[in-house]
Amino acid sequence: MPLKVRIGNNEVRVLRSSDLYFVQKLLKAMRNPKTKFNSREFTTKGEEYLFNYVSKNVGGVDEGRRNFLKGIVIGVAAATVVGIIPGLRVLVPPVEQASGFPKSLLLDSSGNPLKASLIPVNSPIITLYEYPLTGEPNFLLNLGDKDGNPISISPIDVVVPQTGKTYKFPGGVGPHNSIVSYSAICQHLGCTPPYIHFYPPGNVSPSQLTAPEPDTLTAQALLAAKQANVPALIHCDCHGSTYDPYKGAAVLTGPTQRPLPTILLEYDSSTDYLYATGALGVATYPEGSDGIPSQDPTKDLDTSQYGSSVGDKTQVQANTNPFS
Amino acid sequence: MSLGKRVSNWFAERLGLDDLPFFKTPDYMFHANEWLGALVAASFIYTVISGLILLLYYNAAAGYQSTEAIINQVPYGSVVLYSHLYGSYAMIILAYVHMFRNYFVGAYKKPRELLWILGVLMLVLTLGASFLGYSLIGDALAVSAVDVGAGIVTSIPQLSFLIPIIFGNYDTGDYTRVLALHIILVALIGLLFVFHFFLAEHYGMMPSRKVKPKAPAVYTKEEWSKFNPWWPRNFVYMSSLVFMTWGFILAIPNALAYLNGLPQYFNPFMNPKPAPPPNSPAAAHITTYPPWFFLFLYKIADFTSDVVVFLMIGVIIPLIYLLIVPFLDRTDELHPLRRKVFSGIGILMITYLIQTSLWGDLAPGVQVSVKDQVIAYLVPAIIVALGLTFLNPMEQKVRPSSAISPMTSILFVVISLLFSGAVVQLIDYPSPLTFSIAMFLGSLFFLGARSMGSLVLNKNVSRSVPNRPVSEVNTSVMISNEKKKRLAEVIMSILFVLVVVIVAQMWTIPPTGYASNLFGVDLGLVFLMLGESISLYHYVVYKKPTEKEE
Repeated sequence: MPLKVRIGNNEVRVLRSSDLYFVQKLLKAMRNPKTKFNSREFTTKGEEYLFNYVSKNVGGVDEGRRNFLKGIVIGVAAATVVGIIPGLRVLVPPVEQASGFPKSLLLDSSGNPLKASLIPVNSPIITLYEYPLTGEPNFLLNLGDKDGNPISISPIDVVVPQTGKTYKFPGGVGPHNSIVSYSAICQHLGCTPPYIHFYPPGNVSPSQLTAPEPDTLTAQALLAAKQANVPALIHCDCHGSTYDPYKGAAVLTGPTQRPLPTILLEYDSSTDYLYATGALGVATYPEGSDGIPSQDPTKDLDTSQYGSSVGDKTQVQANTNPFS
Repeated sequence: MSLGKRVSNWFAERLGLDDLPFFKTPDYMFHANEWLGALVAASFIYTVISGLILLLYYNAAAGYQSTEAIINQVPYGSVVLYSHLYGSYAMIILAYVHMFRNYFVGAYKKPRELLWILGVLMLVLTLGASFLGYSLIGDALAVSAVDVGAGIVTSIPQLSFLIPIIFGNYDTGDYTRVLALHIILVALIGLLFVFHFFLAEHYGMMPSRKVKPKAPAVYTKEEWSKFNPWWPRNFVYMSSLVFMTWGFILAIPNALAYLNGLPQYFNPFMNPKPAPPPNSPAAAHITTYPPWFFLFLYKIADFTSDVVVFLMIGVIIPLIYLLIVPFLDRTDELHPLRRKVFSGIGILMITYLIQTSLWGDLAPGVQVSVKDQVIAYLVPAIIVALGLTFLNPMEQKVRPSSAISPMTSILFVVISLLFSGAVVQLIDYPSPLTFSIAMFLGSLFFLGARSMGSLVLNKNVSRSVPNRPVSEVNTSVMISNEKKKRLAEVIMSILFVLVVVIVAQMWTIPPTGYASNLFGVDLGLVFLMLGESISLYHYVVYKKPTEKEE
């Protein structure tokens, strides 16, 4: 209750209860020997000393009020911490585990769906797309005979020389059943294009024996092609591994012990679009140093070091022509 | 003694908080313009922390892809990335403000010359680190910025040896070296900051001109030992500023992330998202521009085809001037109007910087004839020269005790308009987005209204101060302070409730996808409110009835 004094007709407020409480507290502090008010200093320094003294010993704000405010500040700070906690999820790396192979539409370099009938036959240009994870390149090949007419690629059993086991290569897709796709990472030591690439029929010739890297064919590869009557090859220049693109990228010559994994393609004849739907054979060669790839292609999805799932679209890039 | 008190005393004793060798602050210095350095440091620290989080995910061998992965896949990755970008923006702007403020108060004078030079070097490093960081995104803009930067360096044959040193194998899309240099420059900033900070603590903050009108402006040991010790008042005030800076750094870019289709000339300032990659067809359709803090250089490049002249005008002359200004301006005068030449140069530097940057933003790459250059740059020079000639320092400046500058009031009007617009939007299209925008602008409006309101409401009190006898003034000021303190308490309670509501909402925001940036907006708001409640606490508990400059 404020203390009031009546002067004439006006009521003048003298002191409020809080002021009274404050004065009482101040006097108590001034009498307290620990915090004695130094009147000598007050006369020399004036009101500044008084204010400092008051704010130091009585605090201007009484203890209860100060604690209440402190409580609020601590409350707000605690709430802030609680708010930051879900943000700490930023430290948990997103799990790059594709639970299965995605069905990815192949796009051309300008982002439109790729038309299967427009893929050139026996193109020497290295044509690649990433699947099932980013960083995992695969060849996209439209195979033909010596004269450049598309050939229907039939299903065949592919042997894995390392284990002797076989798996069923499903054959080509597309309007002429001539389109196939294989991993573009060599199963020997993991070389990638342009070291490993497709040699069209015109380039499977003795003149490639002396061609500069990465276009050199080994004599062994030429001989194997001749014996197997294969017009075109996939050959890795790093160490000379050769694969047969017509027969599921089976091993033609070493040093590789495993065929290139096949990427399963699905052809939609109504739209002429191609979809990648899965992989077959052994797992993609890991780029890291942890050795021999697994023979189960799905293993690749949770242990791969390449990147994230490409999702429902993947872009086909045809940039490099190694023979030019 | 309560348990809390005992615990805090234990720490205070162990950490020696009562006698830290930090500068003790006089009462009148608890205003933001005395603490600009702390604001720069706060944004620096924020940017370092967010950058280290990004370092966990960024892959220099695939710059663009990993940036996209951070934005789209890492939980709250876009929140961290965008606020990292705007943290560096904030640091650059605040560093400029800090520098020019100290320029005009003459803080580069004896004995603070080294402090000034270190600061200028840190500005250069900050701009360099920001440029490299901007390149790391690997989008079409970054590549073009690097191409322009590299082009400038290569066109001076003697300097082309620097290209591999700076960019490494940039041509093959390898950002490893750019990333390494980005981190190295930031580490250098940190190192210089330590020196800068301890020198600043050593000489103390620049006293008011009313106290020390001439250089060397330092408080004697005897004087400053009477001031407020670092713990707790300084600490409390500092943390309120730090949290508010962080709040703005988080809230602004994450709110901007929801703006789309801005006119091109807003993009350098208001678009935190990366542009398309350089090899995509979409890249052909975008206008490339450098980061906004180099827009001025971009425009100067239109003035001349001679790279050496360009570098002289744009970089070397201003830089050398700033480095040696403590040795050019050797008088002991601190008042800006008693150092008219240097004040004039300072005003012109700011004018030219802003003018050229905006010019570069609006008309990038448009050649400018010499005549137009002369007109564009002579007019401000003449105005400044005339203005300074006729302005003289007032001997007894009568300043209302706490006036609000015209800039603040204009800003407040703009914010009020934005706020009312946002409320209308919220009513028309209620959604989390409009709600958070309205909340954000509302809190800005609220902050503004608080500072304006207190002034308007107490107008007569502050005006009548000089006429009244001293003792009477104190009681009236005390009473009005008491009212304001009550109001502050009520506001703090409201803030507490708001924070709890927002924090509860934050737990429901998905970590990735379109809505995830709301987390950044909310966290920013929470930091702002934390900073504001600490600031109010400081006001209620530590503010003295009268804080004079003597």
